[in-house]
Amino acid sequence: MQLSEVQKRFKDTMLDHPKALDDPAADFAALFNEGDIPLPARLKVYRNNIIGSLTDVMIASHPLLEKLVGHEFLEMMARSFILENPPTHGCLNMYGGGFDTFIENFELAKALPYLPDMARLEIAMNEAYYAKEDDPLKAEELASTTPEKLQLKLRQNIRLVSSKYPVHDIRDFCIEDDPEKTMNVDTGGVKLMVYRPQLETKIVRLENDEYHMLSALKEKMTMDDAVESTLNTHESFDFQGFLQRQIELETFLTLATNN
Amino acid sequence: MSVHLKHNEPKSNPYPPASPPSDPVGIGLRHPYYQEVTDSPPDVGWLEVHPENYFGGGAHRHFLSKAREKYQLSLHAVGLSLGSSEPVSEEHLRQFKELIDIYQPFNVSDHASWSASGNAHLNDLLPLPYTQETLDTLCRNIERTQEYFGRTILVENPSTYVAFAENDMSEYEFMNRASEMTGCGILLDINNIFVQCHNHGYDAHEYIDSIDAAKVGEMHLAGHIEQEAGDSIILVDTHSRPVKKDVWDLYEHAVRRLGAVPTLIEWDQDFPPLSKLVEEAHKARDIINRILNEDIADAAE
Repeated sequence: MQLSEVQKRFKDTMLDHPKALDDPAADFAALFNEGDIPLPARLKVYRNNIIGSLTDVMIASHPLLEKLVGHEFLEMMARSFILENPPTHGCLNMYGGGFDTFIENFELAKALPYLPDMARLEIAMNEAYYAKEDDPLKAEELASTTPEKLQLKLRQNIRLVSSKYPVHDIRDFCIEDDPEKTMNVDTGGVKLMVYRPQLETKIVRLENDEYHMLSALKEKMTMDDAVESTLNTHESFDFQGFLQRQIELETFLTLATNN
Repeated sequence: MSVHLKHNEPKSNPYPPASPPSDPVGIGLRHPYYQEVTDSPPDVGWLEVHPENYFGGGAHRHFLSKAREKYQLSLHAVGLSLGSSEPVSEEHLRQFKELIDIYQPFNVSDHASWSASGNAHLNDLLPLPYTQETLDTLCRNIERTQEYFGRTILVENPSTYVAFAENDMSEYEFMNRASEMTGCGILLDINNIFVQCHNHGYDAHEYIDSIDAAKVGEMHLAGHIEQEAGDSIILVDTHSRPVKKDVWDLYEHAVRRLGAVPTLIEWDQDFPPLSKLVEEAHKARDIINRILNEDIADAAE
């Protein structure tokens, strides 16, 4: 059997149902030497390494989901996700994108409709953590720039999250971890910015007009078009106030490198 | 008149130039140890990291930069998939090279194994049949990598749990031939040799005695676990335990043959306190020193 075919068969076996390892196809089993150790036990080491290590990656990036549904349930969801969506390259820092929509369609999780948005929040936090370093636009640079030369581009660590659930409160609830407490998740939605000004990922709540403006910039609209688009739906949008707050949060890329 | 473009000037490198570490023992820098290694650098000669954890940027790089100011560095990859029938990913090479250029490691390495097939990357070091076709494939990928990096790399023997019926050479022969064909060095993982020799009934001493000694540029030590498999025991390389006595004995045999090769203590899950890793590294250092002193005493007689 050619090497490419050996590797394809091995991969398909690893991503198949676990029971497939107990009774591997005869032509696949014939690829390997027999010895004292049964072939299924040998193959299971590889499968445990693959699925186990990827499950660990998923669990490590979703501590909030773990609090909300427990380790075993998260592990089961993660394993199902991994078998359908194995990584496509050898860097796993950003692995797990799409887990939110996977959960949306995961039958056993449908009783917890806020769960996909909690996954979205954690994916955003993970992406912000691993985002490339870049320098912020600071107040001094802004002050020395003429208005017609001003362009606003978001830094690479900026992520925006919108939910009809209070995901920031649910996060606090998870962190507080008080078994005596319960919380009502139907108190209204929230718009958030996830960002990493230094080494730590942070979350800040946004007004609807701020979220609209930042989303427009994220979609690469020019500053003028973004302002116009925001004013169309949010008449009272205060651009100067917005600018001042976002400069303090270090949201924008320095003008020296943003062209 | 000469035109001087300031922003094109190369940044001066803030790190000590790459050189083989004077103290041969190193440990893996992993996230639970970031702060402690930064605040109170442990008594070891060098550090190892998986470059993939630092691809693209991210907050981790802050700690890697701090560590590199004080230590020599080995970049030990797990994602090139050198044994895949498909070519090495250009994007992986590009991101890896960026780190090599910034951090100036003394060693760059990956494994004689595969992970990628089709559009899936299986995140494990999967076994290869030791045939001429595989050797040619592996060598093509090593050569492409070395050409891209402009330097030689080390290639590590993996832990294996299956052996292919169509093997037409032993693993050490396969490693030696890959090294001979491409000029790459060999990263000899002593625990992996122990694990696979148990799992396949090979002779671990014969493996070490047969490897091309001049090519070995780094050695690895790690812990493994025993799992029941029918009436037998299968050894699994977990990097989650102290190095076992039998593996220390095999390491001693390797040091007698290969000398004071830079040696890493690997630990990748169930992380102990940093002091435990350092203790293991000092154990390796003691073995090296004892054997070097014996050699000196023998020479003096």
